[in-house]
Amino acid sequence: MLIGMDVGGTNTDVAFVDGETASIKVPNSAGIDTALSRISRPGRLAVSTSTPLNHLLAERDRKIVTILIPGMGLFYEGGMKGAVNHCGDIVEDIDRDEIDRFLRANPADAVAIAGKFSVRNPALEMAAAECACRYFPKERIALSHPLAVLDFPARIVTTRLNARIREEAFRLVSLIGQRKKDFLFFRGDGGLTTPENVLKDPSVLYNSSPAAVALGVHYLTGLKDCLAVDIGGTTTDLVPLEKGIPCTEELVYGGERTVTRVVKAESLPFGGDSVIADSIEPKRDGNALAFGGRLPTLTDALNRAGYEIGDFRASLSLRLEHAEKAVDDYCSIVAAAVAAHDPPKIAGCGYLAPILVPEIARRARKPFVIPPHAACANAVGVAVSRVSLTLFAHFDGGRGRVVMNGETGKIDRVGDDDELVAICTAEVKRRALAAGADPRDLDDIRVLHCSSFDVVRGSFRTSRIADIVVQVAPGITAEAR
Amino acid sequence: MTTGLIFDREFLLHEQSPSHPERRERLSYTIDQMEEEGLFHHPRIRVSRPPRATREQVERVHHPEYVRFLEEASRRGGFIDFDTVVPTGLLDCALLAAGGALHAGISVWKGDFTNAFALVRPPGHHARAGTGAGFCYLNNMAIMVRHLQHEGVRKVLVLDWDAHHGDGTQSIFYADPSVLFTSIHQKPLYPGSGDIDETGEGPGLGYTVNMPVPPGTGDVSYHYLFDTVIAPLAREFSPDIIAISAGQDVHFTDPLTGLAVSARGYAELVRKAVMLADSICNGKLVAVLEGGYSVEGGLPYTNLGIIAALAGLPLESIREPAGYQEILLRATDPSAHERVCQTAGELRKLLAPHWNCFS
Repeated sequence: MLIGMDVGGTNTDVAFVDGETASIKVPNSAGIDTALSRISRPGRLAVSTSTPLNHLLAERDRKIVTILIPGMGLFYEGGMKGAVNHCGDIVEDIDRDEIDRFLRANPADAVAIAGKFSVRNPALEMAAAECACRYFPKERIALSHPLAVLDFPARIVTTRLNARIREEAFRLVSLIGQRKKDFLFFRGDGGLTTPENVLKDPSVLYNSSPAAVALGVHYLTGLKDCLAVDIGGTTTDLVPLEKGIPCTEELVYGGERTVTRVVKAESLPFGGDSVIADSIEPKRDGNALAFGGRLPTLTDALNRAGYEIGDFRASLSLRLEHAEKAVDDYCSIVAAAVAAHDPPKIAGCGYLAPILVPEIARRARKPFVIPPHAACANAVGVAVSRVSLTLFAHFDGGRGRVVMNGETGKIDRVGDDDELVAICTAEVKRRALAAGADPRDLDDIRVLHCSSFDVVRGSFRTSRIADIVVQVAPGITAEAR
Repeated sequence: MTTGLIFDREFLLHEQSPSHPERRERLSYTIDQMEEEGLFHHPRIRVSRPPRATREQVERVHHPEYVRFLEEASRRGGFIDFDTVVPTGLLDCALLAAGGALHAGISVWKGDFTNAFALVRPPGHHARAGTGAGFCYLNNMAIMVRHLQHEGVRKVLVLDWDAHHGDGTQSIFYADPSVLFTSIHQKPLYPGSGDIDETGEGPGLGYTVNMPVPPGTGDVSYHYLFDTVIAPLAREFSPDIIAISAGQDVHFTDPLTGLAVSARGYAELVRKAVMLADSICNGKLVAVLEGGYSVEGGLPYTNLGIIAALAGLPLESIREPAGYQEILLRATDPSAHERVCQTAGELRKLLAPHWNCFS
């Protein structure tokens, strides 16, 4: 049994996939704990929790301070002492007193610690974290080296984002862990990962809804090339699928690049809870009148058109001409955006999809499908996803060092490229199996990067340096096929 | 303002032999540094992959017979000199490097980039019209200059800052008054040419300017030569574009040379060139990588320094680790500057008949 749970803005959707698919909706007002209590069946639980984290990230009043250790190279304002070079050697130590003075003078809610080349040697970040422990609990300290990617500016932004949400990630891990011992988190790129990995890099949970919808649509419809139109409460997301998989892109947070990958989607600022004045407005102010809200929304407009959603009588205060114009404008806006993608077919998801998508498709002149469980397609996508992970390995024979995803180990020798790829492939499989992967999902390990060169000292080849990146790609697990 | 970074991972493929000083390891650490600094995504920097140079473009500089020799030697391997053997597949790599320089030059000339740095391998400035030499096969700089002139550029100022004299480039433009070739280089050192009295010939007389410096010469002397020789000449010559042969074997950690230039000193020198270009040729400046063999020591920082200076980024942190200070002290000869000043004075006298700024 595969169980997927997607904590949305208004409801938590739960899907059960075991040959048959079943789904339920639990209002968030009852608490996530209530949704968890409904999952009594045994099976693998995967959880998508992007919405609460998205809200937390939208709060700008949390103060995050950053301990930057930029060393040599490009200049960073506020950089502190300490330097790791491109080989991963510590060439200048940190100044613990400097960090102490900085943290005393700058009280904050959480701290981000990022050092240049920390992915080649995390020692200085760890030493700085020891200093920070005197001022912050560990849940409020985020480090950059587990992010593994060489890209210091993007790691800084990601680490700040992580500092902002790490405590909430700890809370979620504890909350879900109390109900279900073994569970996995659903990432924004469509793969599953362990709670331990999430605590090192909670940014992977951010904005995971498009990935969930994409996998759900592909699983429920079998379509390989289509555009998923997911009508939510606040937004309508358009997620393109090509050859059965969504495209991913770099997550941009606060206008700045991160190292986190998310599924590419176009988000239109209109959904079932969008407020109606003269027409539909790109804003949400609580629930629809039909669900106890104080302002009329698109959902109320549909009730005025004859549907019976929620307490549909409460929608009567919305004037009919305003309701008709709002629905008309909404369909036109979405149809224009859909047409711009020029998909071969569209697949409607979300509770309102069966009502609105046929009209959107007609206006965009595209065929459409509303899959079964369309209202919970996102939770289905979470349920059928597979464990995926990327391993970044840097081998340095001269230093007898291998760094894998920011963690340093020892190595006696660096063999040829084939041997190193084999080592990394075996390691990524080992890690994926330990995380709970289905062995059938590990047949296709992708080698994303492989480069190496000889180190020459005094005209003699003395050792080799190699960088290898291998991946168990996100996708649908063999168990669901 | 956009700085073009002309780079292709194929530049890492060329190798004469795994232990040759001009080997792929040279750029590998630099690429790591650039990736870690986020330069491949920097808003002021655009990475661009070049096309290979065409035979026609190459033969504006090199004899067709030499290009045919390279072509044949590239099939089975060949020999030019003990420093410069021809590994199989060389011509493709050399054409890509020449294409890199050319792409950088033409992109700046057409305004696609404000300025550009071609991070190419193999280097080019020892290659003459009829032969390669000193790790070089095709003269990337000269091929770029001739192509720019083909596209309408009238005058080019070449600043060759490799520690070795750019004898190949000098020979190609020796009689050409449309190219002002200037070179600061260590002497004595390979190839042995580049005395101050080599000033050009025929119509090109006065358009070759050599500034030999003794071992142990450092930042102060390089900046002195820039301020008192290069900048006045440049203003009077008034080029359409400035092209730097950006050798970085002037760095104090370089194992093949004996100079004492720091990463910051080099970066500041490039910044001065950028400001000079701003004042005389609408900022049009292109840098082409030549030598530089301190693969783990200086190269990642000097290459980064060039890019930071071209892109107008702060240079405060372009530096070596603090522990390198002792090596710098050992490399520096305190008496070198006086000798540099003396040579510069003699050079100005020699050039006075040709340049008002020195008369």
